[in-house]
Amino acid sequence: MTAAAPSAKAVKQAIQWMLRLRESGNSPVLLQQCEQWRSARHEHELAWQRVVHLHQDLDLRAIPGAGVALQTLETSQRRLHRRQALKLLGCAAMAGSATWLAKDLDTVSGWTADYATATGERRSFRLPDGSLMQLNTHSAVDLAFDDQQRLLRLQHGELMLTCSDAPNQARPLLVQTQDALLEGFDGRFVVRQARDCTQVSVSHGHVAIHRPGNGQVQWIASGQHWRLDTQGAQRLESVAMDPAAWSEGLIVTRDMRLRDFLEQVSRYRHGYLGCSDEIADLRLSGVFRLEAPEQLLQLLPQTLPVRLRQRTRWWIRVEQVA
Amino acid sequence: MPSNDSVQTLYSDHHGWLHAWLRSKLGNAADAADLAQDTFVRLLQRGEQVQLNTPRAFLRTVARGLVIDHWRREELHRAYLEALAHLPEASAPSAETREVLLELLERIARMLDGLKPKVRRAFLLAQCEGLKHQAIAEQMGISVRTVERYIADALYHCYLLRFEDER
Repeated sequence: MTAAAPSAKAVKQAIQWMLRLRESGNSPVLLQQCEQWRSARHEHELAWQRVVHLHQDLDLRAIPGAGVALQTLETSQRRLHRRQALKLLGCAAMAGSATWLAKDLDTVSGWTADYATATGERRSFRLPDGSLMQLNTHSAVDLAFDDQQRLLRLQHGELMLTCSDAPNQARPLLVQTQDALLEGFDGRFVVRQARDCTQVSVSHGHVAIHRPGNGQVQWIASGQHWRLDTQGAQRLESVAMDPAAWSEGLIVTRDMRLRDFLEQVSRYRHGYLGCSDEIADLRLSGVFRLEAPEQLLQLLPQTLPVRLRQRTRWWIRVEQVA
Repeated sequence: MPSNDSVQTLYSDHHGWLHAWLRSKLGNAADAADLAQDTFVRLLQRGEQVQLNTPRAFLRTVARGLVIDHWRREELHRAYLEALAHLPEASAPSAETREVLLELLERIARMLDGLKPKVRRAFLLAQCEGLKHQAIAEQMGISVRTVERYIADALYHCYLLRFEDER
């Protein structure tokens, strides 16, 4: 991105100006105000020029025949959707083609449905094959089920998959993350896409890791935790937090670093949550309810020598008791 | 599954299958052959390493986008001819003009892909008919503020598609 590209804010302002002018029939007062805005910053002028060009490109009033452009675009869109739904996907939900083609070309896709949760939200979904998918806070999954495979792409966040025990599932059940392609066979497992790695924990059953690059398969057995990144797959001997507890609305920790704990809690709430360095390594064991992360934080001073410093509702820092 | 397939290996391993898949979608061998070629051309143009744990799912994804583009052209063409049929014969544009207009419509239809139907509708009422926000609000039974937001959202969506690459 070069320095010349106008910011999203400038572009949105330019769009507002353009629309206001158009609505007002280029009122002289507004024109003058718009001029002022444009000349205030080079970025404004650049955004303005781009928006004006775009608007001209998208002007369909010149198409001859009253209502022809609108009718053509609306009718064809309706039919196109029906065709896609009926013939291509067997499913009504559909994103655009050109856009997702460009965006998703570098991953295996063909995504037909989106499942997502907001920050602090947890939800369960029954998938078309009968498997149960639970999504943790701020997660998004795309689905591509067809006659060859059942493919889920974890865009971000965390999912728990309880595989359908319906017999004769000929199609592999796959979970793709940024770091690996996982195949579930039976049982239940949790996959989390973290910033720089993927974490997999198998509660019971079997999961295979298909590694990009060498085509080999690594098996994960029940009760194991693995960390996958660009370097490879690494089995973790122990974890300080029960990886599946969130599905029951809990954080369960065993001797967990305070800083790691706060990082986990901050996944469930908006805003800043951190701690000072002196207390980062304090250890915490316990069972915490996820329903109210704010209340959960209020518990900390009762068990650790810390206090909460709160500037706003969205800014909390845990500090050493003076 | 090997992950280091070149496009060539992909071609020899999966071209026949892809052609059959496309044919089942398009119901027409000639179009299927064209789009199968186009699919591999797209891959070659990309040049970079592609994720090929599941090569057929990958190919199908690329091909699916091409099928949709193909259908979009067909549907636009058909809808356009239908819309023209309602016009008095004298005002119908020439064949050459039609081609140009259809290209314009296709470009815009692709850009608007992915917009929610109401956002798209509000935007098109403004762009095609030149309606004021108030008139659009009345026609759609929504507030003027919502109309403003829809149109601004649609423009921003198009802006990103148009200028994203230049950032």
